[in-house]
Amino acid sequence: MALQGIWSGTIGFSLVAIPVRLVKAVAPGRVAFRLLHNTDYSPLTRRMFCPGQEELVPPEEIIRGFEIAPDHYLPITAEELASVSPERSRTIEIVEFIDLEEVDPIYFDHPYYLVPLKGGEKAYRLLAEVMHRTGKAGLAKFVLAEREYLVTIKSTEGALALVTLHYSAEILPDNDIVPREGTVAAGEKRRMEQSIRQLRADFKPEKYADQRREKVLELLKGKMGNATVTAPAVTEAESEGPPDLVAALEEIMTEMKQQR
Amino acid sequence: MAGGTIWKGIIHFGETHVPVKLHAAIKEERIQFHLLHQRDGLKLQQMMICAHEKIAVPSEAQVKGFEVEEGKYIIVDAAELEQIVPESSRLLEIHEFVPSAQIDPLFLDHVYTLEPDATLDPGGYTALVAALQELGVAGICTWAMRKRSYHGALQACGKALRLTTLRYADEVIAVAALELGEIPLSERELQIGSDLIKQMAAPFQPQKFVNEHQQKLQQLLEQKARGEKVRILRPRLLPPTTADQLLERLEASLKKAV
Repeated sequence: MALQGIWSGTIGFSLVAIPVRLVKAVAPGRVAFRLLHNTDYSPLTRRMFCPGQEELVPPEEIIRGFEIAPDHYLPITAEELASVSPERSRTIEIVEFIDLEEVDPIYFDHPYYLVPLKGGEKAYRLLAEVMHRTGKAGLAKFVLAEREYLVTIKSTEGALALVTLHYSAEILPDNDIVPREGTVAAGEKRRMEQSIRQLRADFKPEKYADQRREKVLELLKGKMGNATVTAPAVTEAESEGPPDLVAALEEIMTEMKQQR
Repeated sequence: MAGGTIWKGIIHFGETHVPVKLHAAIKEERIQFHLLHQRDGLKLQQMMICAHEKIAVPSEAQVKGFEVEEGKYIIVDAAELEQIVPESSRLLEIHEFVPSAQIDPLFLDHVYTLEPDATLDPGGYTALVAALQELGVAGICTWAMRKRSYHGALQACGKALRLTTLRYADEVIAVAALELGEIPLSERELQIGSDLIKQMAAPFQPQKFVNEHQQKLQQLLEQKARGEKVRILRPRLLPPTTADQLLERLEASLKKAV
């Protein structure tokens, strides 16, 4: 499986610099549908439309803007955005090493893997191995798609995984919904512990399957053969257009947003 | 303040029933950008364009297709998908309890804080928090809410119960897919590397870290709004540490750290 790179840069571990590529660690198992036109069954492509010029806008003419007042936007260039935190957008600098057991799981957000780039293989291997031996994980900050993440870099089966963490300011206080002092009914607790012991097992995630996905696939299987439609042929150049950086970036951002 | 109630349900295993309300546990704030046309600065609208006819297609003329082979689709209408909705239920069924430490963070997805449904709960919530904490386990459970089925881990943290949705096993990419090679390391490299990590060890104190980028971005936007020119800074790239430099760099790091 070729894993597409999301970002490439350097891990800074004191004076050691490891060139790496960031790749996905999870792939949503949802059944993917394409949007089609109901008359000719041709696939639809997402394009941006300018209401002033009444025309579709090519990617190279798209810029980003910050809304300063209703319908008033401050345009901002990619270069300006990149210069907000120039170092952190290229380097994941490990500032300290922590025990992952100390991290409340509520902090874990989205996981990725890091893969060494040419020349960095040995230093990568070393960092993975010494973190495994010491039971520690690195803590770092870095900027991806205009957003600064606090991340942990951990060793997993000889590889480095990067997990973004929430900032503590993003964790909602729960003191208004969680019981403050509740005395624990000892009998009730003992009875629950007994039930829990009877249901003890090891964590085996493969035991659980996405039932919705299975049902969607079943539905598709039932329709296979008799109910297919064919889209009219469109030449590749017309259907796809030039590589669209803004769209690619947007995709990453939406993807990250969807994790919430 | 915690957010509003998302769903009400009843945790169930054995003879135990604990009524709870789900709340969001996380709230993210971020600066939002819009896409503009460079020529006139107007906000752009998203349109779906038919690849064949090159015309905009309104949502009522859009259908969903599953691609069976290049250019061939099975059309699935909304009503058919609507039928694939789990049976509505209030039960959050725990199937088994696993050691919390066995759940790799790669599986954790979305987290909720649970509130005891006080009108119905005579104290099961606090007893369950205490029991889970004492045994160091998480309840692996399934439930249906908002027309979707979920599977997750129920855990105790402090005085609270938390529910985290879990990714399915086949959604987590295996390390083997990274195709990493085996590279020999000397005992000395490993020793110094380990020493260096120990030098840099610290307790996890998340409060120490704030989103500085967000603050700087805010400043940049204010600067631009006042009409000031923004200085363009470029990242400095670090030269990679090659295999034969590794030991020397590790030794220098350790010296620096002392």
